[in-house]
Amino acid sequence: MATVIRRLEESDSPENCDCRDEALNNYLKRHAWNNQQKSSIGVTYVAIDELAPGAVIGYFTLATSSALRDSFPKKYVRGLPAYDVPVILLARLAVDHRFGGHGLGRELLSEALRVSLRASKQVGCRCVIVDAYPTAVEWYQRYGFTALEVNKRSPVRMYLDIRTIEAARSVS
Amino acid sequence: MPKANLVKGTGHRAKPTRKPKFQADLAPFEDSAVRSLKQQLQLTSNSDFFSEAVALFQWAVSERRQGHRIVSESANGEKKILVLPRLERVAPESALPQVRIDWTEKELGRLAELLSSEPAKPTEALVRAMKG
Repeated sequence: MATVIRRLEESDSPENCDCRDEALNNYLKRHAWNNQQKSSIGVTYVAIDELAPGAVIGYFTLATSSALRDSFPKKYVRGLPAYDVPVILLARLAVDHRFGGHGLGRELLSEALRVSLRASKQVGCRCVIVDAYPTAVEWYQRYGFTALEVNKRSPVRMYLDIRTIEAARSVS
Repeated sequence: MPKANLVKGTGHRAKPTRKPKFQADLAPFEDSAVRSLKQQLQLTSNSDFFSEAVALFQWAVSERRQGHRIVSESANGEKKILVLPRLERVAPESALPQVRIDWTEKELGRLAELLSSEPAKPTEALVRAMKG
């Protein structure tokens, strides 16, 4: 199966994409396009099966955010840059369950990290943050994400340094 | 008698410029595709074919780099957009939108520690994911 990952377009058909998660399905079907085109809340990239052009079989959404310098606990501030810390938020990543188990999630994550790396060259960003479902924490850990607060939240907020991604690309 | 290729004003013979060579292993179907394209485009040499292909690719990259889409339009107005994964990599990212994250104090503490330390070495899975 040949897939293409690209930005969501108005003509795409996300209706049949079923990630077996109501919130993720709902976001893709009802909000992703509006949030990208009208509200500029997040940019969604979709995986498309080349044999069924327009049919979405997985997606991820990216946005930028920051950690305000003043919000850090005082004892940590000294070692930090004198500015707010810009981050990229991997807001959502999901695969249609019928296409699961074939590495599509990895392809989507890989593309999300490539986009993040390119964006970091253009606008500056220090790390990628993901709010992972507890069931996905181990999967993200495999790619080097570190949980910021263990066993506390659901979802679990995780961190990956942009320099680690850059190093991975250099090795490649 | 042919004129010697001399560097102007020096009397020295100019060094012949070596053209870089390009060699490619082609699968049989690629070979026949190249032959067919050469025939259709009335190109006789591989060099000319390569040069035309590079010019086309260069144009496509330059268009996509500017964020332009490459579209074909039929006589009845039906449009097809060229989506080539390699080409998509040069397309500029539109500025990603900004959202607010509500951090807990513990998250910020851990985040500060990570930001102040050396970046972790990439895992094997990450290296594999970034390949290609």
